[in-house]
Amino acid sequence: MLLGIDVGGTFTDAVVIDNQEILAQAKVPTNHEDVLQCVLAALDKVLLDGVAQNLQRVVISSTIVTNALTENKIDPVFLAVMTGPGMNVKGKFPVEPHYVSGYVDHRGKITAQIDWTKHRDLLNTKGSGVCAVSGKFAVRQPQNEYLLEYELKKCGYKKVFLGSELSGELNFVRRTNSAYFAAAVYKVFEKFCQKVQLALENRGITTSVHILKADGGTLPLKVALEQPVETVFTGPAASVLGIEALAAPEVNSISLDVGGTTTDIAFWENGLPLMAKRGASINGYPTAVRAFHMRSIGIGGDSKITKTIDGYQVGPEREGSAAAIGGSVATLSDALIVAGYVSFGEPAKSLEAIAKLGGNPVIEARKIVESAVAQITATIKDMLVEWAKQPVYTVDDVIRGTEFEPAQLIGVGGGSLGLVKAVGEAMALPVEIPQGAMVANAIGAALARPTLSAGLRADTTDGYYIIPESGRRERLPSGFGQRVAEKLLADWLHKQAADWQLQGQEVELISCEHFRTIHSYYDTGDIFNLRMQLKPGILHKIVGREVEL
Amino acid sequence: MKNTLGLVFFPAFDWMISPTHPERQERLLYTRDQLEEEGLFDCEEIKEYRPRLAQINDLQRAHIGVPGIARLITPAHLASAGGCLTAADAVMRKEVQRAFALVRPPGHHAMRVVHGIRGFCTVNIEAIMVEYLRSSYGVKRIAVIDTDVHHGDGSQDVFYHDPNTLYISFHQDGRTLYPGTGFPEEAGSPGAWGTNINLPLLPGTGDEGLHRLYDGLISHILEDFKPELIINSAGQDNHFSDPLASMAVTAQGYARLADKLQADIAVLEGGYSVESALPYVNTGIILAMAGMDYSKVLEPDMSELRKQDPRCNKRVDQLIEQVGDLYFNRERTKKELLKKCNGVWQRKKHIYYDEEGIREQQVETVRYCNSCGGYFTIQTAAEDTRFGDQSAFIVCLPRDICPNCRQKAYDEALREKKTGRWQYVFVQQIVDGFIETI
Repeated sequence: MLLGIDVGGTFTDAVVIDNQEILAQAKVPTNHEDVLQCVLAALDKVLLDGVAQNLQRVVISSTIVTNALTENKIDPVFLAVMTGPGMNVKGKFPVEPHYVSGYVDHRGKITAQIDWTKHRDLLNTKGSGVCAVSGKFAVRQPQNEYLLEYELKKCGYKKVFLGSELSGELNFVRRTNSAYFAAAVYKVFEKFCQKVQLALENRGITTSVHILKADGGTLPLKVALEQPVETVFTGPAASVLGIEALAAPEVNSISLDVGGTTTDIAFWENGLPLMAKRGASINGYPTAVRAFHMRSIGIGGDSKITKTIDGYQVGPEREGSAAAIGGSVATLSDALIVAGYVSFGEPAKSLEAIAKLGGNPVIEARKIVESAVAQITATIKDMLVEWAKQPVYTVDDVIRGTEFEPAQLIGVGGGSLGLVKAVGEAMALPVEIPQGAMVANAIGAALARPTLSAGLRADTTDGYYIIPESGRRERLPSGFGQRVAEKLLADWLHKQAADWQLQGQEVELISCEHFRTIHSYYDTGDIFNLRMQLKPGILHKIVGREVEL
Repeated sequence: MKNTLGLVFFPAFDWMISPTHPERQERLLYTRDQLEEEGLFDCEEIKEYRPRLAQINDLQRAHIGVPGIARLITPAHLASAGGCLTAADAVMRKEVQRAFALVRPPGHHAMRVVHGIRGFCTVNIEAIMVEYLRSSYGVKRIAVIDTDVHHGDGSQDVFYHDPNTLYISFHQDGRTLYPGTGFPEEAGSPGAWGTNINLPLLPGTGDEGLHRLYDGLISHILEDFKPELIINSAGQDNHFSDPLASMAVTAQGYARLADKLQADIAVLEGGYSVESALPYVNTGIILAMAGMDYSKVLEPDMSELRKQDPRCNKRVDQLIEQVGDLYFNRERTKKELLKKCNGVWQRKKHIYYDEEGIREQQVETVRYCNSCGGYFTIQTAAEDTRFGDQSAFIVCLPRDICPNCRQKAYDEALREKKTGRWQYVFVQQIVDGFIETI
């Protein structure tokens, strides 16, 4: 049995899945002041007799980190960076960093050691709490980061996050921001994890507890504490996984998860959601947090309708429940009912509420729906353009193109039926609404697979290889070549997965570059850049069906 | 509009001339790593574009390939030329203020007539872009500043009869470096006299000499010419660490130049210090063009940088005087030359294709007209090409050609066809890149 809990903006859902079927599901209102209580309230509703003892895994997708960040309930962080020469990074980080000397070049060569004589002040500070350290090209050679971490711990800092440990990929600014945000939310997240652990133990749940990440993977609590920032934006990630479990689109698709307040849009290819190429932005700062290529816009079933000079504005505020189900003012759902896209509750109440806006209610309702649809299609268009602008490194890339051409729309979430139909009409695409869409997010969380990816860079001129995620820089074994490189990386991934108690999964090669290096017309060696990952996705699909709430 | 830079980054990791050639897959690898690591693609001042593929007609506005341009190029050339067109579109549609096509393969040694690869180049990507800007956007006056260490003899060749393109190249003196040309006397054919500016510098010239030349001459020429667009052929081999040349410019020197020049579009040309120079020079140019702070872009290792010899500045001062006179008296000289040549001007050229060992002989003839800019013809005979020995007679019809000249040009092409001397007789319509085989 698998248990999934998703804390959403409006509701917190829980679901128990047994043998590919939904055994129990629950929905409770979310209280942002006390996320833990929501988790437990939803949990208690699905803990039928015998469930607690038979659970194989619990996965929680919570807004705890997202809320801490958006509400700025974070800890002050001491940020130290080693930029060396290059772009001026002033203003690129949420706090003014402390600049430390020392530089690593693009080949991973230390071209400047840290000059401690310049940093007497730093060595003499009395630190406490959390700090973050990041150096340019530390993913090629992390030694300067380690030295700085060592000194800062001596100053009294309890927890130090390193940029190179949070991401193995190039992009100094993003790694630095990841390290900063990881440090900033560490204590909030740690407290939450402890409470969850305790509450579950009190209920007799002894199985492993995982936290969902922005990239749709899960991590055991203990490991998640080493990278807390990865658990930001898990709501949309859970939604994507839910769709995967329920619909698993075979053709290129665009999914719309329509909630009360927002709609999350994601792209699908070969049955898998597309990942953003460079990572998520947090509070306007780019980070290395891997996330799906998706956008959230402020349009949902409960969206407020505002009259403008030439039409209507839908959202981004939430009005409340639709008039059809007892609300007092017309919402987008009411407009969808009156315009004939969907029918639920008392349609007469919807008509009455829309009529209050003046004019012919059916015509006005259509205008409202058109306005919402226009916003959604504009966002989709933006996303298509963004996707097509992925970097191209080879002639092959240019010829093949990277345009995404959708063949269908998939709608999930409470408000999806009518709105997605309207979007489908506007985009001339067929629409699919899978069964079981009511608690798709919790299902997604329950079924999420662990994700783990890592890179290996070998520079045979130097005679070393590094797996940045491990922090290890080792001499190349004899007979080194691409096959050996792949094996070294796959072995490390399997070992890491075992250490983190992640289920055994296949490893796949995501990218591979091989260059010969030449000096004065002579071959001097090879550079290999590899990336591999545990195959992402969901544990298994389920047969969608609604059960009593 | 905010100060924004459109960046077309296309390192062509699957294209090379040969495995150990300077134009090999590795060339922009370290630049890619540096740009990614700096996080430049995330800056709101920088907008990323993917290159499109140029069409054969785009290439043929600037080139006549023998036997045909399509048989001489690889898809990589369509992508790098296409990258330049993408950059041009981004600027002309005002999506960005300026653009940098950081692409390979390069192009400034490719001449109008193409029999093969010379100086690592097959098609001239700047020239293709210039002709595209004219045909698609009606831009007339364009300045091309070539900051590559080698003389851009291909660009000079394509623009030599065009008074609306100001081509300025500073480079290491041709007596000490490939391709051996690029002296002040090569100032354009009579109708375009003074719009081809060559500034050969002494080996060892560094930031100081370069900026002395820019401030003392190039900036004044640009001010006078009043181009609608400035294009920078941004070669990076004046760098002190370049293995093929002997200059002493730094990343700061290049970035400051890019800042002063504020080119509308820059296009990467040469630069083969792939590890020690390109990552830093490119970062510097990008930051400068995007209006960002580039003062912290420094090479980690400056030990090879030598102080500039006093003779370098002396040469710069000579050039400022000599070429300044040439440029600012160009209208008078132009009249004299046109009068002297009496309607027909001709030159002979020997062209060597270092990459393939091709020897080409050309006779270029310009025929002037009172009601239009006239037209020109090229007789070409090349030995040892991929297709064996080949010869062609080519008539080039400029945009503004009058009906009278057009008729004359076709008559000439037909006459030459009848002589049976040529394997091919072509008529090139510069305006649309249509090449007719007679």
